[in-house]
Amino acid sequence: MQEFDQIEALWATHTVDVTISADDMLKQAKKEVNGMRTKSLLNIGGMCLSFIAVACLWLFFDFQSWTTHVGVSIIVLSVAVYTVILYNNHRIISKSDFTVDPNEFISSLKRYQLNRFSLYNKLYWFYTVALSLGMVFFFVEVLGHLDLWIQIVFIIISFGWMIFCSTLVRKAVIKRDKERIALLIEKFERISGQLQGQ
Amino acid sequence: MDQKDILFKEIFDKNSKKIFHLCYGYTGDKDSANDLLQETFLKVWQNLDKFRNKSLISTWIYRIAVNTCLTYLRSEKRQAKDELTENIIENKIEEFSEKNEQVALLYKSISKLEENDRLIITMVLDELPYNEIADISGISEGNLRVKIHRIKQKLTELYNQHARI
Repeated sequence: MQEFDQIEALWATHTVDVTISADDMLKQAKKEVNGMRTKSLLNIGGMCLSFIAVACLWLFFDFQSWTTHVGVSIIVLSVAVYTVILYNNHRIISKSDFTVDPNEFISSLKRYQLNRFSLYNKLYWFYTVALSLGMVFFFVEVLGHLDLWIQIVFIIISFGWMIFCSTLVRKAVIKRDKERIALLIEKFERISGQLQGQ
Repeated sequence: MDQKDILFKEIFDKNSKKIFHLCYGYTGDKDSANDLLQETFLKVWQNLDKFRNKSLISTWIYRIAVNTCLTYLRSEKRQAKDELTENIIENKIEEFSEKNEQVALLYKSISKLEENDRLIITMVLDELPYNEIADISGISEGNLRVKIHRIKQKLTELYNQHARI
């Protein structure tokens, strides 16, 4: 039979190993808040690179047909518009700071979530249709001098890839994005609620 | 490394063990305690600029940790995890030495107390002054003394019960 004094003595002699260090904790704290912003920036960076890569076609190739110029123009314009939309969304989350105004931060996260949803639904289809149209125009001249079977392979691979991205990849990205942002909103709402109570 | 980072590291090194005790006592399992510890210090880092020295920094951190613990099990996902706690403790006991077994038994007994009582007794065991515990838990010091007396009795009873099994 133990008394409380013995329980106290047992407690006093025991040690626990905190598995995380101050450095790790600091890194994690910073990573958690900045992770989404970094990802959004990388997304924009990738789109900018695509814009440059497609625009460079004009510099390195001497296209003869007007269809190719129309095709490249449509693709470049679609990429540019999509990049601007991504940048506007990025600004929503980058301009507010949880530590300054938690409520503003949570509402901007919600706004960001809605915008992302619209981006992956309505706008994505506009983007896909515009890219497909651009590629059709582009292929007229570029694939014109190749064998028929190579043309068919190119077209199948290109459009197959776009269909794959528009269906399976898009669905997976929407699901992951929705869960991630919802979890962040829930987490920050919980934190905010607790801090208001203090 | 800027001033805030240095301050945070200092705060973490000084308080993490006690906060881990609190979280471990509350959940009864190390993994959840680690999650709670991290969540607590994430909030500390995010709100460090807002700390106004109205109370001791340790009191402020304890308060964040207590609130984190109290809301932790309320989310559905974590409630499911909580049901596993008993099994986790029982499985781990077998791996421990006799002294560690007693400690695990103590944590198990603490986790059987009421939610608020778990947190209060962990702070008592970590020798926090009563006025600080009263401040953190939002109970008057007089009521707290009565409550602590009752929790001590309950914990001793639970510990002895488990020790007999």
